[in-house]
Amino acid sequence: MRQHKKGLALWLLAILLLLAGALLTGSPGRLESVQEAMRDAVLHDVNQIGLLGGKAVNPGLISAFTVTAVLLVFALCVRVFVIPRFQYIPGKFQLLLEEWVGLFDGMAKSNSPHRHGFLGVYLFSVGTYIFVGTLFELLGLQAITVHGHPVTLPAPLSDVNGAIAMGCLSYLVILSGGIAGNGLGGVGKTLKEFSLPISMSFRLFGALLSGLLVTELVYYFVSLSFVLPVIVGVLFTLLHALIQSYVLTMLTALYYGEVSEVPHKPKKRRGQKISASAASL
Amino acid sequence: MPLNIDWQQILLHWMNFVILAGGLYFLLYKPVKQFMAKREAYYQELDQQVQEKLSQAEELKTQYQVKLDVAEEEIHQARVKAQQDIQKSTQDQLDQAQVQARQIISKAQEEAEATRERLRKDSQRELREMAAKAAKKLAFRRGTDPFDQFLDLAEGGGADEKR
Repeated sequence: MRQHKKGLALWLLAILLLLAGALLTGSPGRLESVQEAMRDAVLHDVNQIGLLGGKAVNPGLISAFTVTAVLLVFALCVRVFVIPRFQYIPGKFQLLLEEWVGLFDGMAKSNSPHRHGFLGVYLFSVGTYIFVGTLFELLGLQAITVHGHPVTLPAPLSDVNGAIAMGCLSYLVILSGGIAGNGLGGVGKTLKEFSLPISMSFRLFGALLSGLLVTELVYYFVSLSFVLPVIVGVLFTLLHALIQSYVLTMLTALYYGEVSEVPHKPKKRRGQKISASAASL
Repeated sequence: MPLNIDWQQILLHWMNFVILAGGLYFLLYKPVKQFMAKREAYYQELDQQVQEKLSQAEELKTQYQVKLDVAEEEIHQARVKAQQDIQKSTQDQLDQAQVQARQIISKAQEEAEATRERLRKDSQRELREMAAKAAKKLAFRRGTDPFDQFLDLAEGGGADEKR
């Protein structure tokens, strides 16, 4: 009991010391106003990063490459060390992997029962990308801009280019399903939903950008940087990751199933036709 | 472009995603699905085996039920036959007993008749013997020689006739 009290006192003391240190040290001064920070979070026209020392790109693209690298390394490790040891009665991690794969595969099967092979792969990839990409901003990895300032890497889809890429790609996938299922008729069905790429792109962009803006705003002021980021940074990001993964994959699966469904025309039997014509006479 | 939309970066995003999708497909999605399909096939095979064994068991049950029914029918027939045999045997024994009884009665009657005849003959013979004895006694009671008596009778027949 006495040891517990001692530990608690040490913990509180450490918190107070760090808080006092943080307040006394002060910040090096704001490089940009809140308006500039918000504008740059949306447009990324100032804090750009050189891609391999060449073209300056938005930080979101660097985040996208990083997320892809992380995911591929993780998948490689799983493929080499985990999947060969899979058991018929799964353990916790195996169950998680199977559920993750089965979730998107089942979504593809249930929404597009007649054609779901490619759709399952696409949904799995895009769902994983959005989920992990959204959680990626929690890591707070830093990169150096072309102007030499450090910048925190955002979620890949909070970049308007990333969101447009994902929305348009989903629309193209839906279009490919329509062509594969119904040929030109499928193209017509898909083109009827002409607002889909815009809505999907900007839904993603808006949802993730709003999280980014709130986080930027919170971190902009030192006084808001205690306790509040636990809720804003972690819980909201987790919710964003889940919701946006689900929404985009579900919408893609729904539209894909709709446009690739082969219409069933009832065949008229010869006998019925003759009797109908006789009746009309 | 408004909103800093850059087609080159969009293409780079696409390229990035295509790499990610291909990698995830070959490294994660396909192997996990293959394993799940393999496990499903394994359990389906098990289920099929169980179903086959169940159907075999059902067939065996049906066969044994048929055999049981046949055996029960045979038992029933054997029981009926046994009852009929018992009834017939009982009837035969009764008939035989009645025949034997009649034979015993007739034999007893014959024996009784024979006994009665023998007794009658014996009694007649005894009566004759008794009559003879009585006659002899009567004859030897007068104390005379029968020959003398005969002679007396022969000589004095007249005397007697006189008397």
